[in-house]
Amino acid sequence: MSAMYELTDVSKTYSTGSRSVEAVSELDLTVADGEWLAVQGRTGHGKSTLLNLLGGLDRATSGQVKLDGRDLARMRDGELTRMRATAVGFIFQTFNLVPTLSAAENVATALVPLRVRAAERRRRVAAALDSVGLADRSRHLPSELSGGQQQRVAIARALVKEPKVLLADEPTGNLDEETRDEIIGLMEKLWREHGLTLVLVSHDSAVVRRAQRVGVMSRGRLAFRE
Amino acid sequence: MFFFTYLSRELRRRLRQAIFIALGLAVGVGLVITVTAASAGVKNAQKDVLKGLYGVGTDVTVTGAAPSPSTSGGGGGGKTRIGIMMGPNGAQMCVNNKCHPLKNGYTLDNLGPTNYSPIAQSWVAKVAALHGVSAAAGGLLLTDNKTTISQTPSAPTSFTVDGTDISHLKLGPLSQAVTASGRNFTAADANKNVAVADKSYAASHSLKTGGTITIGGVKFTIIGTVTQPESSNPPNVYIPLARAQAVAKKGPSGGSLKNDVNTIYVTAASASDIPAVQSEISKLLPSATVTTPSSLASQVTGSLNSAAKLASDLGKWLAVLVLIAAFAVAVLLTMAAVSRRVREFGTLKALGWRGRRIIAQVMGESLAIGLLGAAIGVGLGFAGAAIINAIAPPLSATLNSSSGDHIMTPSGPLNPTTPHTVSVPLTAAVSGAAVLAAVVLAVAGGLLAGTFGSWRIGRLRPADALAKVG
Repeated sequence: MSAMYELTDVSKTYSTGSRSVEAVSELDLTVADGEWLAVQGRTGHGKSTLLNLLGGLDRATSGQVKLDGRDLARMRDGELTRMRATAVGFIFQTFNLVPTLSAAENVATALVPLRVRAAERRRRVAAALDSVGLADRSRHLPSELSGGQQQRVAIARALVKEPKVLLADEPTGNLDEETRDEIIGLMEKLWREHGLTLVLVSHDSAVVRRAQRVGVMSRGRLAFRE
Repeated sequence: MFFFTYLSRELRRRLRQAIFIALGLAVGVGLVITVTAASAGVKNAQKDVLKGLYGVGTDVTVTGAAPSPSTSGGGGGGKTRIGIMMGPNGAQMCVNNKCHPLKNGYTLDNLGPTNYSPIAQSWVAKVAALHGVSAAAGGLLLTDNKTTISQTPSAPTSFTVDGTDISHLKLGPLSQAVTASGRNFTAADANKNVAVADKSYAASHSLKTGGTITIGGVKFTIIGTVTQPESSNPPNVYIPLARAQAVAKKGPSGGSLKNDVNTIYVTAASASDIPAVQSEISKLLPSATVTTPSSLASQVTGSLNSAAKLASDLGKWLAVLVLIAAFAVAVLLTMAAVSRRVREFGTLKALGWRGRRIIAQVMGESLAIGLLGAAIGVGLGFAGAAIINAIAPPLSATLNSSSGDHIMTPSGPLNPTTPHTVSVPLTAAVSGAAVLAAVVLAVAGGLLAGTFGSWRIGRLRPADALAKVG
């Protein structure tokens, strides 16, 4: 199976005044196309930083981050933005839905950068909401939906553009156990159906155990369980 | 378009804040419109006053020097010797050795210049030839003094007479006159003994169109009466210039005014030429007094003057301050709103939205708020102008001479000892240009607020924005 991600000697250092903190340190990682990788670790040990580097939301201080053979560090800001628009879907712990937009409009925000025609947009949004079981909630505002439903909308938003990669940062962190299991079950189903590469960050063992491979971030370094 | 969907949803969600910002801009804009309208109203009132005093078409008035005290009342005819002689034919009154019998009912009627020395008529053409001068016309401002010999003594009477250049009726005292009865002068009247009387003077002295009036001992037929603007100080009677020159005397001594005028009315080619024309004429006729509307305006006092100062000083600065405050409030509230939406914008960047697309969204919202502010502001401005028109008392304009000299207006000199006061209504007029400027200001305020907010978004890195999630 070909590699979707290839990270070589990647470090990310944040400077705050005279102090510098190495959030990711000399990290080597390969994620295969269609693989589900879970990353566990304590807060502040670099999990989210790794996800940001994978999603092109941040740039590595040193090393190479290759997505589908292209080095993200060499991409200009515009290319990175384009890459995020087409190839990467994000799911956040706090859902990050636009509170003024309905469920359907929130899903549609992912298609705005792709300049999809209105009719095609409506069709794809409806299909995405249907795939997460929220076809009947398309006109509801986020405030009118439960936490689980909001995360379903966020999943639909991440998948509507048919990305190669799905990056999920603590996607069940704000949900109760029952809803957590529902959401993870849905993500697993969609991962299988769409043949996605899924990188999921969580500190919840019940979530990460569903992944094909589990890595543990500690002090910016990633180690894998045998 | 998704742009408008997002924009309308955001405005609806932040309706209270949007209305608050829009109202802030609206108050600033409304005040600018109101102050501009009031200022324009005051300017129009000033213009009306000066128009009444100065006449349409006349930009510069040139008058001969005031006569010296030795010739005052005589019009500059040299030393005058007056005496009563008794002879074989009875009593005689002699002026410079010219004697008239003093009979009961005999009237001494002398028409002559009182306030201004004569200027040779040839100067009119020289003034007309100056650069920047469009037209020039001469005139004779005269006073007719009548003294009747009677056993029952009566006070002498006098009235003002204007010798009018009939070929230039659009210049000088008759330029604003409206015919009340009969007719005005025509070219055929140039050498006829015809007169036009001021309607008020005619009414108070029982003069009627078709009747006669004796001026300088000569009978003139009244061909019409005219009314002048309220703020003017019109002559009592107008006669053709040529007849005035023939009948008037420099004084009791009898010097002729045949080739003289004592006033020259000048129209400049454009308003911007007036100062240069004034300067040129002053060089050409150093002893003459050269008056312009602006020099006349400087002598206007009263509530009109106070209102003008209030509008230009306090009003202008108040409007500017309120506008700055409104802009500042709009900028701060927009920046605060953007701060609250950092996570939202970070998420959109993560979804692949370009920074400029997000900036356009924020600018669009700010523009919409600016337009709302402009609409409300224009309404407030019209309301402010209407309130001013409803409650503002009439303004008084007083023209008085600080030097004690006569103040020259094309319609005649104003008495320096009796301030000339007129009352003018203040009509605050909202102009299209003011509305347009106000709309531009409100939109600029909105865009300024949007720009400050957007500047932050432009600098925002998606990872930093998402880190604000907590």
